[in-house]
Parts: sequence; C-alpha cells; structure tokens
Amino acid sequence: MSNFEFDWSAVFQAVPALVKGAELTVVITFGGLFFGFIIGVTAGWMKLAGNMVSKAVANFYIEAIRGTPFIVQVMFLYFGVPLALGFRIPPLVAAIIALSLNAGAYIAEIVRGAIQSIDRGQTEAGRSIGLTAPQAMRYVIWPQAFRRMLPALGNQFIISLKDTSILVVIGVGELTRTGQEVIAYNFRAFEVWFAVAVIYFVMTFSVAQIIKYMERR
Amino acid sequence: MIEITNLHKAYGELEVLKGIDVRIEAGEVVSVIGPSGSGKSTLLRCINQLEEATSGRIVVNGHDLCARGTNINLVRAEIGMVFQSFNLFPHLTVLENVTLGPRKVRRMPVKAANDVARRVLEKVGLSGKIDAYPSQLSGGQQQRVAIARSLALSPKAILFDEPTSALDPELVGEVLSVMRDLANEGMTMVVVTHEMSFARDVADRVIFMDGGHIVEDGPPKEVFKAPKSPRLKDFLRHVVQH
Ligand SMILES: Nc1ncnc2c1ncn2[C@@H]1O[C@H](COP(=O)(O)OP(=O)(O)OP(=O)(O)O)[C@@H](O)[C@H]1O
Ligand SMILES: [Mg+2]
Repeated sequence: MSNFEFDWSAVFQAVPALVKGAELTVVITFGGLFFGFIIGVTAGWMKLAGNMVSKAVANFYIEAIRGTPFIVQVMFLYFGVPLALGFRIPPLVAAIIALSLNAGAYIAEIVRGAIQSIDRGQTEAGRSIGLTAPQAMRYVIWPQAFRRMLPALGNQFIISLKDTSILVVIGVGELTRTGQEVIAYNFRAFEVWFAVAVIYFVMTFSVAQIIKYMERR
Repeated sequence: MIEITNLHKAYGELEVLKGIDVRIEAGEVVSVIGPSGSGKSTLLRCINQLEEATSGRIVVNGHDLCARGTNINLVRAEIGMVFQSFNLFPHLTVLENVTLGPRKVRRMPVKAANDVARRVLEKVGLSGKIDAYPSQLSGGQQQRVAIARSLALSPKAILFDEPTSALDPELVGEVLSVMRDLANEGMTMVVVTHEMSFARDVADRVIFMDGGHIVEDGPPKEVFKAPKSPRLKDFLRHVVQH
C-alpha cells in the first residue's frame, strides 16, 4: 500500500462547487425530462393511434435513439448539427435538447406499453356510456396507464440523471464536469470523485424514494 | 325502438353475422341464446356500434346508426351496455364510476350528477358502497354498479352480454333480481344469457342464434316447449344437462 490518506479538507473545500454543479445537473435533468415526457407521449401516441406515416416517423425516431450511444447523440447535436444550421447552439440548450430527445424515445415506449396494457374493455365501457374517444382516453385510460408508467418513468428519471454526466464532452458545468475542474487544481482525484459519486447517489436515491411514495398512493 | 335490417358483420374472411333481421319494441325484454361463437356478442356490439357493421341498417330510437350526421356518442349514451367482465373503472370510486357519464356526456353539474348516482345506486341496493373502489366489491356488487352506471344516463334500452357468467353461483341471484326489477319497470332489455331460467321467466321473447343467423324467435313458451329446429332442440338438450 502507498501511504495514501483520505483528505477530508479537500472534500469540504470542493463541496460548494460540486453543489453548484449538482444544481445544474438537476436543472438539465428536469428540463430534459419535462420535454422528454412531452416528446415521449407524442411519439408513443403516434405509434399507437397514428396513420402509417406518423407510425413510421415515431418508429424511426425511437429506433434511431435507442440504437445509438447517448454520447454520440450529444456530440452530433453540439458539434455536428451547427455546421449544417450555420449557428452554434449554447451548451446548456444543447444539453437539454439532447437529453429530451434521448429520454423521449424511451418514454415513448413506456407510454405505449402502459396504454396498451389497459384492458380493451375499459375503452369499450367508456365508449358505451357515450364518452368520445378523447374523453375515454382522458378520464378512463390515461389515469390508469399513468399509474402503470410510474415505476418505469422513475427508472428513466434515474437513468437520465446519470446520463447527464456524459455532457462533460460539451463542457456543460454539471456535476461531473465540476468534479473534473476541481481536480484540475487540487489533484485530489480520490476524494473528489468519491464526493461526486455520493452526490449522484443522494440524488438518485431521493428520486427513487419519491417514486416509491407516489406509487403507494 | 331497435330495428335491424339485413345486418352483416365479417372479421376479414370470417362472416360472423349473416343477415340479421329483428325488431325490438320499447319495453320488451328479449333474451338471446345460442351456442358459443354464434354471434350473440357481436350482435349486441353492433347495436351500440362498438363494432361497425359490414352492411345492413340499424335504427335505434329513430337514429339511423349508419347515417352520416348521427352523433354516435349520444346514441350510445341512450343504450346502456353491461359486460360479462363488469369493466368498472378501477381508478374511480363507485360514485365516480356512476357519475362519469352524467357529468362528461350529459354535462350535468357535480351535485346533480351525484343525486342521480345516489338514486340509481339505491335502486341496485348499493347505497352503502358509494365511496368504495371496485376492487373492494364482490363480483355481484361490481355488476350491480355496472348496471347503475348505465342507468345513470336514463337509457332507452340496456344491452346485457352474459352479465352473470363471470359470477360465482351464489352471486348470480342478486344481479338477476336487479334485472328482473328493471324488466318489471318497463325497461327495454336485450339480454344474452346462459341463464335459461331468466330467459324463461322474465323475457317476453327469446331469440335463438346459431351460425350467424337468427334461427328461432318467439315467446319463451314456444321456444322452450316447442322448439321447431333440430339445432335448437339439440342446444336445449345440452343446456339442460349442465
Ligand atoms: N374482434 C374479432 N376479430 C375476429 N373474430 C372475432 C372478433 N370478435 C369475435 N370474433 C369471432 O366471431 C365469432 C362470434 O363471436 P361472438 O363473440 O359474437 O360469439 P358469441 O355468440 O357471443 O359466443 P360466446 O357465447 O362464446 O360469447 C367467433 O367465432 C369469434 O371468434
Ligand atoms: Mg359472447
């Protein structure tokens, strides 16, 4: 063994910066999942109820995202797409767009699966009392489907939260990037990565608890 | 009340209804019997357009269901449907199950809808279960809630598709007794059933279906005591044995 000693002061000094990074991680995660949910519901619904064209579009989107690494999606969006557009996308905006598009594809499948899992008899009962198709969706199918989505959505939340660390490659100052920067001047890789890991864990664990609580209600 | 002319229904190659002609008058209680796969459910589902007919004419309460411009949702609200598997909304309480139609389809204010719901729930003997969720009820109670859910829309007719087939034997009676009360009050009812006692004692008319056709149609006395077709004779022999 080397004469390594865990330096607590390095951790304490790093904490304010790391917390700032964690805040940005949370912002990106919430932003990404908010838009990801909208995209996911739209794509899931297109796959369920759309015509041939919208089904094909939704399918292509979902498969393209699921079949490629997130890091490649991020770099393509941040370094590649601007060349075609002719203007740069600010890193934070690119981060949120990338995460939304990524989470949206997975959420689409979650939404589709949950809606399909609701018994056909529910729609029929709804229609038989005179509800229109959108009403039956809104008052009968969606509330039941949403409850079934919660575990998978919670899981996606945690995956997306951890995936934000990949955004180091475009220099967004989230938690992982902040960790790198702190180490660049104090050289305490062990302590800082340990602290970063603990902060990620506290965040994902909290999310898991909140989801558990919501499922119980 | 319900007038069906030359109704055909096919699923792809499979022709399930092969030309159904039937008239059901207001206040009539009609039992539909027949072997499995003969098209009984399909006929009911065509009447409230859960299935679209391949061809033919269905007129309900003066509304031609196939005509453009018919608001099918409003017609559906006037024809109740009670399913074999109850199909209550599991995320809603009994009261909410029953008020959903009045509130969203009839656009009743909450208080008026609740009053209607209390009245129909009392009728089916479930006043005490207003705040329960379907999963907390027995099958017989669930089916009675389902009947109340239909009644809350003041339907002109109610279609029942084997309403007691999913019930434990000791729970069948409570549902049949609610249906008997409705029949006595003059509700128009079309009841697909394997309960021959209900068909015999409550129905004004019995329709025997086989192979997508109506094979016999008459008062229960004639149909049960003096079946004309060999197929009905055969069917009755099998049913009585079970
Ligand atoms: N959605 C569907 N797609 C394809 N075939 C169907 C569909 N619904 C019913 N069928 C077929 O239509 C035929 C008649 O079905 P239906 O449910 O009307 O019979 P039934 O008389 O109600 O029988 P049971 O007593 O078993 O309920 C059956 O052969 C069935 O397999
Ligand atoms: Mg049937």
